[in-house]
Amino acid sequence: MATKTKEVLESKVKDSEIEDLTAPDNLKVPAKPALKPVVVPVDKPVVYPLDLPESEIRLRTPAVGQRASRPDGRLHGLGQTQYIDDMTFPHMIFAKILRSEHAHAKILSIDTSEAETMPGVLATLTGAEIPVNSFGPTLQDQPVLANEIVRHAGDGVAAVAALTEQQASDALSKIKVKYKPLPAVFDPLEAIKDDAPKVHAPRSNIYASKTIKKGDVEKALKKSDQVFHKQFKTQMVEHVPLEPHSSVAMWDANGRVTIYSSLGRITLGRDDLARTLGKPMNKIRLVGTIVGGNFGGKNEITTEPILAILSKKTGRPVKGTFTRGDEFISSTTRHPFVMDYTTGVKKDGQILGRKIRLVLDGGSYCSWTSTTLGKGGILAAGPYDIANLLVEAHAVYTNKTTTGAMRGFGAPQVCFAYESHMDDMAHALGIDPLEMRLRNAFNEGSVSPTGQLLQSVAIKESLQQAAERFGWKESTK
Amino acid sequence: MIVKLKVNGEIRSADVSPETTLLKLLREHLNLTGAKLGCDVGDCGTCTVIVDGKSVNSCLMLAGRASGREVTTIEGLASSEQLHPLQETFEELGALQCGFCGPGMIISAKALLDKNPEPTVFEVRDALSGNLCRCTGYTKIIEAVLDAGRIMSTAEAKS
Amino acid sequence: MKKRGRGMACMWYPIGFTVAANPSAATVKVNTDGTATLLTGTVETGQGALTVLGQIAAEALGIATDDVHVVSADTDTTPMDTGAIASRTTYVTGNAVIKAAEQAREILFEAAAPMLNVKPEQLEARDRKIQVLGFPQQYKTIGEVAHHSEIVIGRPAIGSGSYNPPTVEMDPETGQGKPFSTYVYATQIADVEVDDETGEVEVLRIVAAHDCGTPINPMLVEGQIQGGISMGVGFALQEEILFKDGKQVNPNLTNYIMPTSLDMPELEVEMVDNYDPTGPFGAKGAGEPTAVPTAAAIMNAIYDAVGVRITSLPATSEKVLSAILEQKAA
Ligand code: FES
Ligand code: FES
Repeated sequence: MATKTKEVLESKVKDSEIEDLTAPDNLKVPAKPALKPVVVPVDKPVVYPLDLPESEIRLRTPAVGQRASRPDGRLHGLGQTQYIDDMTFPHMIFAKILRSEHAHAKILSIDTSEAETMPGVLATLTGAEIPVNSFGPTLQDQPVLANEIVRHAGDGVAAVAALTEQQASDALSKIKVKYKPLPAVFDPLEAIKDDAPKVHAPRSNIYASKTIKKGDVEKALKKSDQVFHKQFKTQMVEHVPLEPHSSVAMWDANGRVTIYSSLGRITLGRDDLARTLGKPMNKIRLVGTIVGGNFGGKNEITTEPILAILSKKTGRPVKGTFTRGDEFISSTTRHPFVMDYTTGVKKDGQILGRKIRLVLDGGSYCSWTSTTLGKGGILAAGPYDIANLLVEAHAVYTNKTTTGAMRGFGAPQVCFAYESHMDDMAHALGIDPLEMRLRNAFNEGSVSPTGQLLQSVAIKESLQQAAERFGWKESTK
Repeated sequence: MIVKLKVNGEIRSADVSPETTLLKLLREHLNLTGAKLGCDVGDCGTCTVIVDGKSVNSCLMLAGRASGREVTTIEGLASSEQLHPLQETFEELGALQCGFCGPGMIISAKALLDKNPEPTVFEVRDALSGNLCRCTGYTKIIEAVLDAGRIMSTAEAKS
Repeated sequence: MKKRGRGMACMWYPIGFTVAANPSAATVKVNTDGTATLLTGTVETGQGALTVLGQIAAEALGIATDDVHVVSADTDTTPMDTGAIASRTTYVTGNAVIKAAEQAREILFEAAAPMLNVKPEQLEARDRKIQVLGFPQQYKTIGEVAHHSEIVIGRPAIGSGSYNPPTVEMDPETGQGKPFSTYVYATQIADVEVDDETGEVEVLRIVAAHDCGTPINPMLVEGQIQGGISMGVGFALQEEILFKDGKQVNPNLTNYIMPTSLDMPELEVEMVDNYDPTGPFGAKGAGEPTAVPTAAAIMNAIYDAVGVRITSLPATSEKVLSAILEQKAA
């Protein structure tokens, strides 16, 4: 990896100052170049130490079960791990994206002409220029750059590539976008109503549903000694990887594009790139490095197609790194859930039937919502043997930040509900919470809510082990 | 403007625009990419370096203000033959996962141990409270700092 | 006054995608000195996947962790992989790695059999040796065998394999089916202190017992659990993206509060002894489930401490205090 790029880029600028008197105004280099490093010879090696003995644990057999240290761990500690934003390439330029301030609006026009004349700007891009301007792991309902409608405050509408990041940011303010605001909806329970503004008109805001049915829940509730009901809600959460999304795209003279990206899944990332760029897969190389934190938030393409096209337009490597603000408003987030739980129990604590309704705030685009809905629905009843069950789960569009994959796909949300509910029932029945759980928990060979015969079940063991370590029995108040 | 400073024991200089931060100077002009940009406004600590013995967020410090000072970055801790005790214990205990917080975390820990080689758990937590980590829950990081402190104070006692 | 409380929560969590195919492939190349290279299309996202996959390859070949170098994340060179998602890497990619390593190992066994005057089925790979089952003193080093196979016989020891977890489509009306191959289980117990005058919650200690099948690398599993809990603490008490008129109000780390080193409780982490015969060397996975029960355990502990049931997250001090006041008024 070339690491001297900045210097190369700067000296390139300097050359053009002498030779290229006919350059358009915006590319004329300011009289005093803003950044001109004085290169000082360095004696210190860049990679070191080179010959430390290997840790003894890594040399043991058998390998499985060893507390082996990780080879990347040393590089992390030395500051030598190369994340995408640490990479530079000769003549590399920088891209920035203009984002919508409106939660829901029709785009009447996008005018990039003034931005194109700004200092250092080499190219701009709008959605109309993207061969296939949509992506998404389940529904391809998300534009790479919105060019007709923006559906949340954060949708990208245009991009700029310039010699420096600052120049690219400065040029964004010169892009003129005319919007016609549309009525917006932010609350999933509002969005579910028939007369709510449609996020993807004319389609319904309910864009995915899942039902799980087992036994006869109504009968079970009637037969129960006591029936409990409660509604639980969770909030929208950001992944906060410490490394913001970052990618670099560059072409070679054979028409192949190479993209270095902080993506966590390159095989499907390349599929998406092939689709959006309209290119055969063998003309695309997607390379990942160590991702600086993912947690589900780096599982689909974001700016990669934009950088690829800007790179083609300019014939230069183009880097795009999110600011922390981009990370919040334009990457995906955790789904807020509204969860209604109704559970019927016998006096001894045995759960006879449970009815659950989940409404997921799906945000502006589908992303990984179908997976979250599926997992959330399947897991919603908890790790318990419940013969009579009804789970109804719906995902709805709102004009908010896109919700997608995040560590647990809906499981932390439903666990908060089913375990809070469990304690409520235990207290009401006067049963110790540990006892209440042990009474209902799965066994080896239990049948799951979807009728699956479970194997390798260890829920009771985990309850007992945790209780023992905590001193649950002794710590009773 | 010309900024001249000592970085990891060597005199370095660069011609930068006045709004350039120390982080930018290190990463883009001196090719020292160990310090990371996680937020650019002083909230995350990934850009932590030591300036004249004190840990600072290099994204908040203008390069000009670092002129004439002594800066230690993560690249200045190990030698060709040896890791810094913090780098050793972080590696051995698997204290870092994605590693993005690592350089800043280790630098903050170094600033602490240089002054206080036998800190309490609370002092370690306190010293690292400006360095966010999303991966590890800080548990192994805190253990690694305590271990490194022990190694450093025994080494000192011997010498 | 500060009041103490404890609360528990348990959970189950699946490995891999819901029904949908999510295969992984892998290639293992044994060098002529007995070290090896593993090619995988997954991406290291900090969890230690590459270390774990290397350990799995090493185990299958009977060599040490350090003997295997792992190459990953390049669509030009590495085989397909569904990626670092859905806690699937150890289980799905791990199973693919075993298949690839077994194929390479088979070539080694076939080369070693005549050298040791036995049939290939009578051999095992252990401690960097290919040895006769039951007669470990009869062996050739794996390096000798690999060299012989490649240089003398002309058959390099390279293997490729793929794995996709078996599932059964879910019925659209009733949801009945087999959406996942396997699940993991866990319990966390929180010990908290709630200030009933300010509503402030301090988590003092969390005990966690997680089943992940065989922990391929216990140190990395601990790291996952500790990290998952920190995310759970943030979800429980601090983190929330706030909106005004559809625009985020706190899109920065100044106003979006997440756990720092000062917010983390003492953690006591244990693994539950378990072995899943469908997983690589009995392993399942550990990534996501670690973050699942934390918030529930903390909410139950808050209830135990001050008798209020928090029904919407996060349990900020304002929310807890107003619940306490409401309860007092009632
Ligand atoms: S980049 Fe300096 S504190 Fe975040
Ligand atoms: S190791 Fe990933 S942020 Fe700390």
